[in-house]
Amino acid sequence: MSVIAPDFKFSKFIQSLISDVVWFVLIFSLIGFPIIMMVLFFIPMPVIDGELLTPFLAFTYLADPTRTLPIVQSFMMTDMFKIMAFPGFGFAALLAAGTIFVERKMLAKLQLRVGPFYCGKFEGILQLMGDGLKLISKEIIIPAKADKPIFWAAPVLFVASAAAFVALIPVAPGWVVADVDMGLLAVFAVIGFFPIVTILSAWSANSKFPFIGGIRALFQMVSFEIPLILSLLGVVMVTGTLNLSEIAASQSSFPWILFLPVGAIVFFITMLAELERIPFDLPEAESEIVAGWLTELSGMMYGLVQLGTYLKLYAFAALFVVLFLGGWNGPQIVPQFPMEIVTNGLELGPVTAKIGGLEPLLTELITPEMINGVLMFVLKTVGVIFFILLPRGVFPRIRVDMLLNLGWHKLIGLAFVNIFIALALVYAGVLGPGGLQ
Amino acid sequence: MMSSTNTEQITIEEKPAEEKPAEEKPAAKPAAKPAAKPAAKPAAKPAAKPAAKPAAKPVELPEFEKNISDKIVEKFGDKIVVSFVKENRVGINVDKENVHDVARFIRDELNYDHVESVSGVDYPQDKEIEVVYHIGSYSDPSLASQLIVLATRAEREENPIPGKDATRLPTLRDIFYSVEFHEREVFEMFGVYFTGHPDNRRLLLPEDWADLPPLRKDFAIKGR
Amino acid sequence: MTNEFLPPGLALQKADEKIMTLNVGPQHPGSGHMRIIVQIDGDYIVACDPDPGYVHRGEEKMAEYRNYITNIPHLERPVIHDSCNVLYPYVLGVEDLLGIEVTERAKYVRVICSELNRCIYTMYWLAIYGIFLGHSTMFMWPAGDRELLIDLMEKISGARVTHAHFVPGGVRNDLPPNFEEVCLRQVNYFEKRIREYAAVFYDNPILISRTQDTGVLSREDAIRLGVTGSVLRASGVDYDLRKKEPYDVYEELDVHSNVMKEGDSYARSKIPWLDMLESCNIIKQALEKMPKSGSVRVKLKPNPKGKGLNSVYKRVESGRGSLGCHIVSDGKVEPYRLKLSVGSFRNLIALPYLLKGEKLGNMPSVYWSLNYWPVEADR
Repeated sequence: MSVIAPDFKFSKFIQSLISDVVWFVLIFSLIGFPIIMMVLFFIPMPVIDGELLTPFLAFTYLADPTRTLPIVQSFMMTDMFKIMAFPGFGFAALLAAGTIFVERKMLAKLQLRVGPFYCGKFEGILQLMGDGLKLISKEIIIPAKADKPIFWAAPVLFVASAAAFVALIPVAPGWVVADVDMGLLAVFAVIGFFPIVTILSAWSANSKFPFIGGIRALFQMVSFEIPLILSLLGVVMVTGTLNLSEIAASQSSFPWILFLPVGAIVFFITMLAELERIPFDLPEAESEIVAGWLTELSGMMYGLVQLGTYLKLYAFAALFVVLFLGGWNGPQIVPQFPMEIVTNGLELGPVTAKIGGLEPLLTELITPEMINGVLMFVLKTVGVIFFILLPRGVFPRIRVDMLLNLGWHKLIGLAFVNIFIALALVYAGVLGPGGLQ
Repeated sequence: MMSSTNTEQITIEEKPAEEKPAEEKPAAKPAAKPAAKPAAKPAAKPAAKPAAKPAAKPVELPEFEKNISDKIVEKFGDKIVVSFVKENRVGINVDKENVHDVARFIRDELNYDHVESVSGVDYPQDKEIEVVYHIGSYSDPSLASQLIVLATRAEREENPIPGKDATRLPTLRDIFYSVEFHEREVFEMFGVYFTGHPDNRRLLLPEDWADLPPLRKDFAIKGR
Repeated sequence: MTNEFLPPGLALQKADEKIMTLNVGPQHPGSGHMRIIVQIDGDYIVACDPDPGYVHRGEEKMAEYRNYITNIPHLERPVIHDSCNVLYPYVLGVEDLLGIEVTERAKYVRVICSELNRCIYTMYWLAIYGIFLGHSTMFMWPAGDRELLIDLMEKISGARVTHAHFVPGGVRNDLPPNFEEVCLRQVNYFEKRIREYAAVFYDNPILISRTQDTGVLSREDAIRLGVTGSVLRASGVDYDLRKKEPYDVYEELDVHSNVMKEGDSYARSKIPWLDMLESCNIIKQALEKMPKSGSVRVKLKPNPKGKGLNSVYKRVESGRGSLGCHIVSDGKVEPYRLKLSVGSFRNLIALPYLLKGEKLGNMPSVYWSLNYWPVEADR
């Protein structure tokens, strides 16, 4: 008799398995099947063996991998996949989750403690999932005199703004959700939404501490947006484009941080302020104003704001990588795929193992260059995120007047210095047409 | 707000009537006390004082502390009573009419500059509440270890209405700023109203406290 | 009670459109067990009204119902981290009332316990000061390093925080065998650790620019307000009871009191840290000079009584400054009246004075730099 499950009986186990299978088949055929059919109607189907794949045929081919992989490939080329999974929300959320875990463990090591330890066997790796479940299961309490529609909408708007920001980040050549020609301007526009969402949430809560926190956040974001925009103008001048993908591609030989270090420093500091990270976490200064503009948010509303915050953190780090560290550019460390095995199959004596449909996927979509680009991008982004997290263990919080003084006097001045450096580089012919690049 | 204060006032007036039986216990204490009390410390009663003083005199008194007490006696004569002179401590008992002058003299002439502690002591058998100021000095290094224990007594009423009855003392806040919170505490704990104190409000007790001032002897802890 | 005697929160306040009243506490991460009612005009505090009393337990009233020995465990409750120092004046006062002389070794043990407790308290205080300034590392480090000394106190008294180790007539138990070496080793390591705090906290440019020249308490005002302990010494008044009115064996030890002239939040936060280094020094001296053997406790008769109507006021230098105990005895087994005059309560008076005209962002640093322990102030 097992200690863990004293009532275990093998027959009951088999019975439960069978009942699970029955339920799965029932629910899938009633709900899942129609949904898949509906989705397939919106995906441009590939032509296989000279025959256009229809949704009805797609199911008949499910059993055949040579016809399954093209469907996967065509699905990966849709906008929906890009928005939901790879360069968009899912990828960013995964990195954000990793960031939270790394932040907790790193801060714990810095402070001579253990950090999350028990949840998920290995070093508390599932702690975040546990926290998320807790937040979902908590009751959402709305202040009695709050402006309810706006109060409800604010966390959603916050996540939406963060996701819009994420959509503009090019991860690898061609892998970007929205490849806008005025990409950098779109970034500035999206950043401009955050103070509005913040002040809306704070004002609608109709409470004193959120109000003060919202005002502080407004002060902070507005005063740091100007040096932020100015610090990026240098990059625009030397590249001559606002398209983020082109900016990233232009750094194939060297990243701009080598020529514009002042701009990079200014951008990094303004980034900390925009993200409300220590030492600029005044809008959430707990010893003064409880949790600032988050005070009245509860349950998953708070969880959404946290999700948005970490998405924003990833997006800012990625923007830094794209603008100053060369984006996906880097040494090619991913080896070329052995294409003869892919095309001819793996011959093991008399048997030949071959997966049909893999060849177009690997040559058109998931190329070694693309994997290398993503790897480089992720490595650089994680490095930048590390430096964003580090001040939390080292610095205390600063004061509002010091913050505004820093933003308006010092950073704007430095941003202009950076612009002059960029102009000098362009006019001296070091960079730009006729120069190094 | 106004209605709630009205009800509080009513309960205040009613309480002592209910509490009457509880007063038997504190009354038991003074029964044992008068035997010990007049001999050791006649407190603010000058009549009994000369009898006790010579008894304490033969013990050699510390020089420095004696000097301080002599200065005060020289200035005020009969108005004050030196209750004890110990190492580093000089005890002065004074009527409430003169406490202000004595405190001013202590501050201006003797260089004492702050009050360490203000404690009230309830003497139901004397129908008096004693308030003891421990006055020290930071600015004069020679007085660093010295404390003047200035005691004065206020009339005690059986049915206290804090702030409205005769249990009053002149405040020392205009002389020693540091008594501000201490006197507030004595007011709420003993019901001694300090005339002239700018901020005679509650400090520690709950907002809805409508009972006797709790450190008086006739306020009995439940179960004891 | 009419309106004029109502506590701060219940009194009706004149409404002003420009001025916002904030109730900081009692349910607030930046207040402790008290409420600070601040009125702010923009980012500036125009008025501040502290409202303590949320943890008032009537220790003084309870003491009137218990005899001199059973008073010991509950009188240390106001500051459990500094429990030896809270008991110290009471024990000295009772010894004075009973006319007991304590043995030399007991006095040294008391000094060691007292200094260890001062460090334990100050580490806790420092941890909270760190988190009030948003410096989470400075919360975790002191909270962890405290354990070194807590373990020592556990070895001495058997309890980790509420030791109840001092009794009239000495200390409850002798030191455990081999204590001197362990203590010296732990204290040396502790000293090395807290010296590292300078790098991460006291020399941190953001901390310095944030706390310097905020909440300045001048020397004259410090004397006038009658503040005590580190607040007083940060304002340039050299007043340490261990030097000025030495009790037990402090006369024989070389005590250096730390004084700073600035009187701002930074000085007030640095003095306790310097005091901890000084405490380590005192512990090492005491370990060296302590008689290696001997009795540590004078046996008392059961239910000791004071002699007639008598009063005594003893004070010691605790982690928060001068801590006085005024005992009035009427010749019975219980004290007739017991008053604790605590440093926190005396420093509280400086809070409204310092916060007026400060920025809201300075409130936590000024408030906690006053070395204020809400539970002690309420008693």
